[in-house]
Amino acid sequence: MEINKEEKNGILTFRVKGDIDITSSPDVKKYFDTALTDKNTRIVISLKEVEYVDSSGLATLVEVLKRIRTLSGQMKLSDLSEKVKSLFEITKLDRLFDIV
Amino acid sequence: MMDISTDDQTGKITKVIMKNDTVIEVKDLVKKFGDRTVLNGVNLEVKRGETFVIMGGSGCGKSTLLRHMIGNIKPNSGRVSLLGEDITDLYGSDLDTVRKKIGMSFQSSALFDSMTVFENVSLPLREHTKLESSVIDIMVKMKLELVGLRGFERLMPSELSGGMKKRVGLARAIAMDPEIIFYDEPTAGLDPIVASIIDKLIIDLSKKLSITSVVVTHDMKSVMAIADRVAMLYEGKVLQVGTVEEIKGSKSEMVQQFINGDYDGPIRFFQQKDDYLEKLMQ
Amino acid sequence: MENPVASIGKVVINLARHTSSILVLFFNTIQWIVIGPFKGKTASRQSIFQQMVFAGVQSVIIVFFISFFTGIVIAMQSAYQLKQLGAIIYVAPMVSVSMARELGPVFTALVVAGRVGSAITAELGTMKVSEQIESLETLAIDPVRFLVVPRFLALLVMVPCLTIISDIVGVLGGLIVGVFSLKINMYRYFAFSFDLLAWKDIWTGLVKSGVFGVVIAMISCYVGLDTRGGAEGVGKATTVSVVSSFILIILFDCLLTGLFFFSNM
Repeated sequence: MEINKEEKNGILTFRVKGDIDITSSPDVKKYFDTALTDKNTRIVISLKEVEYVDSSGLATLVEVLKRIRTLSGQMKLSDLSEKVKSLFEITKLDRLFDIV
Repeated sequence: MMDISTDDQTGKITKVIMKNDTVIEVKDLVKKFGDRTVLNGVNLEVKRGETFVIMGGSGCGKSTLLRHMIGNIKPNSGRVSLLGEDITDLYGSDLDTVRKKIGMSFQSSALFDSMTVFENVSLPLREHTKLESSVIDIMVKMKLELVGLRGFERLMPSELSGGMKKRVGLARAIAMDPEIIFYDEPTAGLDPIVASIIDKLIIDLSKKLSITSVVVTHDMKSVMAIADRVAMLYEGKVLQVGTVEEIKGSKSEMVQQFINGDYDGPIRFFQQKDDYLEKLMQ
Repeated sequence: MENPVASIGKVVINLARHTSSILVLFFNTIQWIVIGPFKGKTASRQSIFQQMVFAGVQSVIIVFFISFFTGIVIAMQSAYQLKQLGAIIYVAPMVSVSMARELGPVFTALVVAGRVGSAITAELGTMKVSEQIESLETLAIDPVRFLVVPRFLALLVMVPCLTIISDIVGVLGGLIVGVFSLKINMYRYFAFSFDLLAWKDIWTGLVKSGVFGVVIAMISCYVGLDTRGGAEGVGKATTVSVVSSFILIILFDCLLTGLFFFSNM
């Protein structure tokens, strides 16, 4: 699992590479805890190179969203594969996240 | 009833064809308890993504077979492989590595009665992962939502009905996102409506999360509703394996007797009919 | 009727089988305690704490009463004898030494076996017959680490702690008799109590009580995890657990006292 950060026009893009599962979720959580400290940030998390997200991964993304909201920022998820998208739909989380 | 099962059939068969690898393989399994032979050369294969039902009368060894598949009982001879790993001779932490990838729903629910619903469902996550408690919190809510019991986190198992306990047990079984779920008599002792709710849940979990399910049951209604393939077990042997349609059209009188629940047939429950009067007069 | 030799043989074989299983459980428990922390797999602090509260803190009142009355009884019984020798002041060390060496550890262990050991067996036994133990195994959680280790540690620590309380309370019980009935000066009573009480009296007593704690933990956990046969089985297991703990406590008391006696400790 690997995360790359990129800034463009005031928007932070995080590209996640690899599965977000029970072994990598704690690291993902820690990464975003340290990466997100400023107020009013606008971020995009690209899941283009993510094949599978398990429920700990989904829960971790919910935690990231909660953090962004307390910092009054904005968060979008992008480039979801069909399979990953369906995982969001099953758990009804597609209604919570801004998926583009 | 019929319509639903055929609908599910078509839906699920395509899924099975898509991923056709074997996740459980049971070979020539023999198990004896004392002098009694419970399993007498069982051979089975379960494919990824399918719902595989093991049915048979009480005491035919189906629960014993299930316990062999998860390594809780060791056979006298024969082999069991689970998710590509031969678990026949695995113990302790080696076996636990494989067990973390499976979930099991027990006949009696087997919830830990000193723990709340939340603690029950979160226990495997707290024990096996480094996830923060806030993430575990969200996961437990997601699991309980899947079984329709969100909001019951603070209750103790003694405050729940039988069907609710079963569903909490199910939520605990899926806590670690298992690849296979084993169900021991999931609908036994539940009223027909709750039983259908559990059946629906089994179908949902296997479809939505593409989990392989292995179900042990003698509830024919449930078999028709959930099964992709059925194995009929009798006296420690597999009589027949096939789709629901194949089993229904079986020429075996024993299978037919079981499906129809006939009193009279080749399966006899009163074996020593003839010497009854003699025994009385002794 | 069965051949008496055969039935004696059966009992011996069963005894040997249970003894070896208990030893296996004991080594398994020690292994988790010693090696577990290096593998990052230990019993949770919370459950150790819970067990300590249950085994220790909640036993204080009953240990208090039993030790207090025991102290009174020894003081009266020994006064009856010592009066004839005109050595009534020796009631004080009589109480303190017998509490520290023998009665404190043994009575505390018996109380804990009856109160805590039975509860442990009943709890684990119920978990066994209702598939909860199997359910733990299926969740890849070792029942020894999860259930036995916290109870073992709690009893190993709390039985000696309760014994210290028992020793002190016993001396106070004796003091009541000594001061109010035998009219011994309180300071003299205290001075005599402790002057003739050697360190070895105290530490041999505490070693004993630690061993008793281990015995209670191992017996109650083993019998609990070995339970079969529904509610009736749990009832039987609880009885077996308490009775065998009692016998083994007295047996180990005898062995340890012998060891301390013959090695001049």
